[in-house]
Amino acid sequence: MTELATMEFHPQPQAGEARPWAFPAPERGALGNGLTLLRCHRPGQQVVAVEILLAAPLEAEPQGLDGIATIMARAFTEGTDKHSAEEFAAELERCGATLDAHADHPGVRISLEVPVSRLPKALGLLADALRAPAFEDSEIERLVRNRLDEIPHETANPARRAAKELSRQLFPATSRMSRPRQGTEETVTAIDSAAVRAFYEKHVRPATATAVVVGDLTGVDLDALLADTLGAWTGSQAEARPVPPITADDTGRVIIVDRPGAVQTQLLIGRIGADRHDRVWPAQVLGTYCLGGTLTSRLDRVLREEKGYTYGVRAFGQVLRSAPDGTGAAMLAISGSVDTPNTGPALDDLWKVLRTLAAEGLTDAERDIAVQNLVGVAPLKYETAGAVAGTLADQVEQHLPDDFQATLYQQLAATGTVEATAAAVSAFPVDRLVTVLVGDAAQIEEPVRALGIGEVSVVAAE
Amino acid sequence: MPMGHTATAEAGSGGLTATEHRLANGLRVVLSEDHLTPVAAVCLWYDVGSRHEVKGRTGLAHLFEHLMFQGSGQVKGNGHFELVQGAGGSLNGTTSFERTNYFETMPTHQLELALWLEADRMGSLLAALDDESMENQRDVVKNERRQRYDNVPYGTAFEKLTALAYPEGHPYHHTPIGSMADLDAATLEDARAFFRTYYAPNNAVLSIVGDIDPEQTLAWVEKYFGSIAGHDGKPAPRDGSLPETIGEQLREVVEEEVPARALMAAYRLPEDGTRACDAADLALTVLGGGESSRLYNRLVRRDRTAVAAGFGLLRLAGAPSLGWLDVKTSGDVEVPVIETAVDEELARFAEEGPTAEEMERAQAQLEREWLDRLGTVAGRADELCRFAVLFGDPQLALTAVQRVLEITAEEVQEVAKARLRPDNRAVLVYEPTVAEEAQETDAADDTDEEAAK
Repeated sequence: MTELATMEFHPQPQAGEARPWAFPAPERGALGNGLTLLRCHRPGQQVVAVEILLAAPLEAEPQGLDGIATIMARAFTEGTDKHSAEEFAAELERCGATLDAHADHPGVRISLEVPVSRLPKALGLLADALRAPAFEDSEIERLVRNRLDEIPHETANPARRAAKELSRQLFPATSRMSRPRQGTEETVTAIDSAAVRAFYEKHVRPATATAVVVGDLTGVDLDALLADTLGAWTGSQAEARPVPPITADDTGRVIIVDRPGAVQTQLLIGRIGADRHDRVWPAQVLGTYCLGGTLTSRLDRVLREEKGYTYGVRAFGQVLRSAPDGTGAAMLAISGSVDTPNTGPALDDLWKVLRTLAAEGLTDAERDIAVQNLVGVAPLKYETAGAVAGTLADQVEQHLPDDFQATLYQQLAATGTVEATAAAVSAFPVDRLVTVLVGDAAQIEEPVRALGIGEVSVVAAE
Repeated sequence: MPMGHTATAEAGSGGLTATEHRLANGLRVVLSEDHLTPVAAVCLWYDVGSRHEVKGRTGLAHLFEHLMFQGSGQVKGNGHFELVQGAGGSLNGTTSFERTNYFETMPTHQLELALWLEADRMGSLLAALDDESMENQRDVVKNERRQRYDNVPYGTAFEKLTALAYPEGHPYHHTPIGSMADLDAATLEDARAFFRTYYAPNNAVLSIVGDIDPEQTLAWVEKYFGSIAGHDGKPAPRDGSLPETIGEQLREVVEEEVPARALMAAYRLPEDGTRACDAADLALTVLGGGESSRLYNRLVRRDRTAVAAGFGLLRLAGAPSLGWLDVKTSGDVEVPVIETAVDEELARFAEEGPTAEEMERAQAQLEREWLDRLGTVAGRADELCRFAVLFGDPQLALTAVQRVLEITAEEVQEVAKARLRPDNRAVLVYEPTVAEEAQETDAADDTDEEAAK
């Protein structure tokens, strides 16, 4: 039964002529203290983004003190030689600024966003934080306690719990990557202000740091401003730090993290693969998008739009850590949640999608739409200063050239269907995937065993 | 008026302008030019949300929003997504209490496609709507509900507090996601009737922002939307007005498997679009916005009784707004300790009002939030629609930040005194249930890390 519409129909319009757009090229330089500087003028972007990278990777954390990089990152905003913790927070907010700091495998990242008229004051505060953080005993104690309070919240969150389990499964126990980025109850408890200061002194200095400044810089004397702020930060010269190789055990297997009574099963299916240094990266981006980049990709076309098992399942590649010599790696994964009774059927369909992809490959039409989307959305995606700064900082952190993203768009456009298929199939081989399911084991274990997608084990949620 | 704290000469609007137009069928159109980036945002607000739903059919507006992506007269299957994404655009739709919005951000040269697509579903959705998409999207939405609300700790707090804060039978008593039972009960005929009632050009505002040629854009709008018939079939929405204060403290204790005790509360506040609502926004920012707020300093920094503490504002135009308190306790701290501290801080604030420095901080934060929202073409398009639909004047979007900067400390104190009181709130207390001893099925795999609690 359909209803006749009364409107006047017109044929689908054709595209007009595209206006050229290119990913912005930053200007690279250095301050006298050795700090690397990337700047990029973006007309109209009144909120300026400043990204700071510190070469304080998680694998540099002292044994037994996992989480100290996180505590240090948070402590940067808890007082300096000029302001107490409360004053510092108040001064930042008085600028209308936001300042986020977090620690990840490649290092510590600090992101400042502030209206351009208040950039001088906010940059001054940021420079104070890096140059002379207070790391007061009482503030570090509070941050430690606060971090300990967060852990049960993360354990109770199915997506966070799945991510933690996958890391533990994939990486050898000796690797920092196998353990939670922000530490465990045991390691965080052991952190004090003396240890935070020692970590800071050993790993934080301008010579190994980078600042990325993006926004509408009309009328801003950035050189003078930086000289007065980040330029006043001093430290010893850089010493190159060897980056350990990343290895992972991707033997196909299933780990159920038992969450009795859960109405959905959280899926996280992953392994490691090529990072941006590898020539396969553009094809891998394209193939991964075709597999699970959006709701019209292969996975959601079946799992969501045909079967209704899920609100959405995504496939993605996320760089873990890169090295100048190309020995880095990315986490390649499929994630989403499906209702408990349909967990077995959903995984069965998911594997069928992967097998079909391997057997029949992608179509040219799929490849074309993916390229048009990935390349076409670039001007939308990089409208704000924050988005541009984030990508420029990622490039530096991953030891890539400053024109990497601009070049990537050309490479995507030149990648064919066959290459994209090959990259997707080798990124997600059906027998080399570690499947973590956070859900009700009593209901899902049997159906999952019956699928034969690997040995099944069950672990407790806490 | 003192406006000394503004960060830009134009206080957030960045010199932006917008023009307004109306088609013969009643469709209101708002255009705003900005040629900095070769992109254009299309945003369409329909003046229908969960407040228009009737008993037994909660969640219908949102379920219907999903059906709008299942094809229309000239668009097959998932074509709305496929065509926009294939053109290098991004798109989505969302449903709230008061409106349903659909939006595309396109590379400039693909703008016409987005207009054609929106017109096609506005005029001919029912030509494509069938049982198959209804059954499929019913399952998808039920899984959305599970993922976002039912399967996460505290996930149903918003629903519970809303139900407490607005009385039974009030149009805002239930949230847009709806109940599982009502989602199950919705029929294809309900969806058809919903479309016929609410999806008319004279019940919508279309805004187009970015790298556009206004004359050409208006011509396209006329071409694609102009022949869609308007109608007056929309019933007047149920009245959402309520007394200024609740007059008593409403309370519910939830015993659930959550990781920590929590105190949440919803305060009844002035309607959106009023000076008093902007004053309330500033009051909540001073009290619970960011990491220099009174509650953060008291509970997280000094008393160290909370892991997180903050206030948010849910702005509503057709019913009182809600001031949203959320505190998660630290360690073994009990809820009454938190509640006493919160009440002390709110009483002190009502007594003293904000300091000049607190006003400056709060206004600077709200100004930056506005700069962020107006900093993208999509954000600007959404705000223009919001002010056009809810307050009849899109130009108000461009001056919203000035209005926040004009609010005085006295107004902030006044609204705090009148509204942020224990007898004007609904309270939700979470008490964790003692989890049963977890079965260690595979003890060998259970390292310290997973055993850690």
